[in-house]
Amino acid sequence: MSDRPRSPAFYALAAFFALFVAFLYGPTLTILVLSFQGPQGGLTFPMNGVSTHWFGKLWAGLGIVDIWGALWRSLRLGLVVMGLTVVIAFYAGLAFRKRFRGEGMLFTIAVASLIVPSIVVSLGIGLEFRLLDDAVNWAAAATGWGWLQEHGTLMGLYTSALGAHLTWTLPFGLLIMFAVFNRFDPAYEEAARDLGATGSQTLRHVVVPILGPSLVGVALFGFTLSFDELARTSQAIGGRNTLPLELQGLTTTVTTPEIYALGTLTTGMSLAVISLALGTSLYLQRRKARAGLRLG
Amino acid sequence: MTTTIKLSRRTLLQGAGATGLALGAGPITGFPNVIAAEPVTLRYLGTAVNQSGDIARKVKEDLGITIEYIPVVTDEVTKRVVTQPNSFDLLDTEFFSLKKLIPSGNIQGMDARRIKQADNITPVFTKGEVAGKKIGDQGTAPKKVFYLEGQNSKNFAGSATEWITLIPTTYNADTLGIRPDLIKRPISSWKELLNPEFKGKASILNIPSIGIMDAAMVIEATGDYTYPDKGNMTKAEIDRTIKVLIEAKRAGQFRAFWQDFNESVNLMASGETVIQSMWSPAVTKVRSQGVACTYQPLKEGYRAWATGFGLPKTLTGRKLDAAYDFINWFLSGWAGAYLNRQGYYSAVLETAKANMEPYEWAYWMEGKPAEKDIKGPDGSVLEKAGATRDGGSFETRMGSVACWNAVMDENTYMVRKWNEFIAA
Amino acid sequence: MTDIALPAIANTATESASTTSLTAKMRRRRVLAYLQAAPMALVFLVFFVVPLALTLIVSFWSYNEYEIIPAFTVQNYIDVFEGCLNTADACTTVRTYLSTLKFCALTWACTLVIGFTVAYFVAFHVRSKTMQMALFLVCTIPFWTSNVIRMISWIPLLGRNGLVNDTLMGLGLIRAPIEGLLYSDFSVVLAFVHLNTVFMIVPIFNSMARIDRSLIEAAYDSGATGWQTLWNVVVPLAKPGIAIGSIFVITLVMGDFVTVGVMGGQQIASVGKVIQVQMSALQLPAAAANAVVLLGAVMLMIVAMTRLIDLRKEL
Repeated sequence: MSDRPRSPAFYALAAFFALFVAFLYGPTLTILVLSFQGPQGGLTFPMNGVSTHWFGKLWAGLGIVDIWGALWRSLRLGLVVMGLTVVIAFYAGLAFRKRFRGEGMLFTIAVASLIVPSIVVSLGIGLEFRLLDDAVNWAAAATGWGWLQEHGTLMGLYTSALGAHLTWTLPFGLLIMFAVFNRFDPAYEEAARDLGATGSQTLRHVVVPILGPSLVGVALFGFTLSFDELARTSQAIGGRNTLPLELQGLTTTVTTPEIYALGTLTTGMSLAVISLALGTSLYLQRRKARAGLRLG
Repeated sequence: MTTTIKLSRRTLLQGAGATGLALGAGPITGFPNVIAAEPVTLRYLGTAVNQSGDIARKVKEDLGITIEYIPVVTDEVTKRVVTQPNSFDLLDTEFFSLKKLIPSGNIQGMDARRIKQADNITPVFTKGEVAGKKIGDQGTAPKKVFYLEGQNSKNFAGSATEWITLIPTTYNADTLGIRPDLIKRPISSWKELLNPEFKGKASILNIPSIGIMDAAMVIEATGDYTYPDKGNMTKAEIDRTIKVLIEAKRAGQFRAFWQDFNESVNLMASGETVIQSMWSPAVTKVRSQGVACTYQPLKEGYRAWATGFGLPKTLTGRKLDAAYDFINWFLSGWAGAYLNRQGYYSAVLETAKANMEPYEWAYWMEGKPAEKDIKGPDGSVLEKAGATRDGGSFETRMGSVACWNAVMDENTYMVRKWNEFIAA
Repeated sequence: MTDIALPAIANTATESASTTSLTAKMRRRRVLAYLQAAPMALVFLVFFVVPLALTLIVSFWSYNEYEIIPAFTVQNYIDVFEGCLNTADACTTVRTYLSTLKFCALTWACTLVIGFTVAYFVAFHVRSKTMQMALFLVCTIPFWTSNVIRMISWIPLLGRNGLVNDTLMGLGLIRAPIEGLLYSDFSVVLAFVHLNTVFMIVPIFNSMARIDRSLIEAAYDSGATGWQTLWNVVVPLAKPGIAIGSIFVITLVMGDFVTVGVMGGQQIASVGKVIQVQMSALQLPAAAANAVVLLGAVMLMIVAMTRLIDLRKEL
């Protein structure tokens, strides 16, 4: 195909693509521009001067909303979810290669977890914890044990919210691992084993390095999916909100361009995370390539 | 309580700044209790309306207590109290939700003896009166749910006891907000909300229990029906009310619905709506953006609401002391003045008055023309000298209350019907 | 759901290795496999299977203002379908589902057309691999930023006095602002398309990238026109990607409650919104009953779709 001349279709499609990109980025750019509103400016055009006023305000805190606290909570939760997703999905991927009874069921459940509407999952987790709390309270009343009396709720960032996020990130992680292992040449492992490596040695020195870039991909997915997750968290969060929930609250409680400044900032942050991950992935690939050359 | 003060060397060094200041300020302002020692943090659950960074800063300065706000919408407050009573230390909620909260057993009665200003709380709450005159008590009027029979009782007391459910923070009389520049004619009745003249430019509150009462005000204004109690409708009355709303919605009357204070500000300021049910400070906020907006007094009267501080049952020890300190501080004047300047009313009028300039008091509370420019808490000019407040003085406004925000006995049915309205 | 076939993962080499002295080794491998799969199974059990089961159970429970009462009742389901036997005027549930299905259909159609076209352009008309990668990234990057922010960014554009109306009026194309831009079906679908097209692009691109280029050459060489090649070669081979993308888009739209709320001005019904309103009114069993009905509806759609493809083979 590459030696054919550019057809008219190419230009039509290119134009369509350009329009799509404009559609994709247009609103984001609007926000970017509006976040530099002057101090007197409102939420809509026209621009009332240009300033970094709202970023300053944002830095000073959004008044009532503990936005930095929420951001920090989201980051920490995102990192935990990322770690767990990589490890759990990687091992599950290994297990699926070996085949085991019940694998069909596990796979079906994983896919189901992905496509069951988030609000339903969220409701279910919320219910589960509500009933658990009731049970603990009942136990506290029945036994009179002191350490149970203070019980409020088991719901929290690292219990119900973490679980809700994992039901969302793990299926993605597993699907990526499938795709990766499908393309993974077992000959490498065989070679390692032939050279006398134990199972764990093979894993550490052969499988993980080769799959490195893909694992970075899983991590990236895990983190960003968690960082932006809203629907599943909504009914399953404890006392303190994550950033997207706080943002959703803000859309109704903030009437100044601060919210745009925040938007610009979080977008920038997501971009930074992606570039970092891509950079790492590229670096790993290069190193692998170089190592391959040296060996060769 | 003083025994709880533990001045270790570390905290002394640590707290040399803020805490030291608070210690110094404490005796003067008269809030001795829990200041100093390890800093106390109170997780403050409520809607965004009452939460303000200024109050949090001031209380940190005065008492050394850190306030951590958890801003959520009205329904969510109720939900968290019922389902996660440990997730907050201080509750700021509407009086009408007490009908759900108290039976859940998650709220403790507040000891009136520990509230210094308890006897000075305005009779709007304790007796349902303004300046000696009875005001409308349809719906969940605060006087009906103000006292409990005992600290952990699940029954409201008919007369004054020493156990208070909620210590009032703010309250107000709600009416319609309008854009006089876009409507260009006088508005005097609730029925204008559903006037086809404003097709596609009206909005209503999407909190079912409150929205339906606004609708009831409209229906009464048209003369179609008079409710025995707008705050406690029968199923047939709910059906009738929702039917009117559905017809209006299908005819395209509404531009959008709003759920939170600032949403209503945005709708009005951007010109998406010209008439909608609204809250007073929201009107103030629209005006401070340079947009003409009137909080229109209507002949049928106001729908009033009130919020107050409550304590979760699980709160004990130092945090409980800190919560009482905070509430006492809140009633002592600075916060009251702060809220009055936004167009709310505060619970203890005398202390708020002492913290306001006489011309401010005259404008906000007495309904007199402003002698000087009226400034908001952030120093921006809200009204030029000469302006008067919509609806007049405190006594006229609160005196014309027709009903209070409520939870009906048929609440479940009502929510289902409300969903029907949203889906229509 | 059970229709999804077992994986066709390349079996590891050891299985083709000598079959003697395998028993002990095999047993160890099997135990190892269970251990490795256990964490995932546990997570799904605790946070997915049990919650769904509880939802089903609780949907048959009774409730009052502040608590759930474990007493069997079908009242919640009766409430869901109240008035649905009346054919003259559709009941709330039917109306809500129709509205949600309408958004599903519109969003699906738009995202499919856009997603397919974009993926096709990048996969077949962009020649260098690096450029492909770059354009692909350009399409996916917005996906990584907050959905809420991306949603509200439409509001200053679409409002009555927003940028679009101002521009059109400035150009003299319209006299009065177009009201239907914001808080309407249009704005909801627009936001859905904006947020979800990426879920179409990625799987379709993935499928297309694996189409053997020589097949296309062959088609051209045997005289097929561009359209014929597209329709008879590319589309069938990209079908798995299309199906996966469709599943994503449909489930995202079916369960949504945030987008419809924000872009619809809180006054457009969606199934997710009904559930959310009931939850915030603490009517958990009623919400659970609605959730079960929603789940049933989505599952029906998915099963229909998985009849068309074998998901695991396509990865």
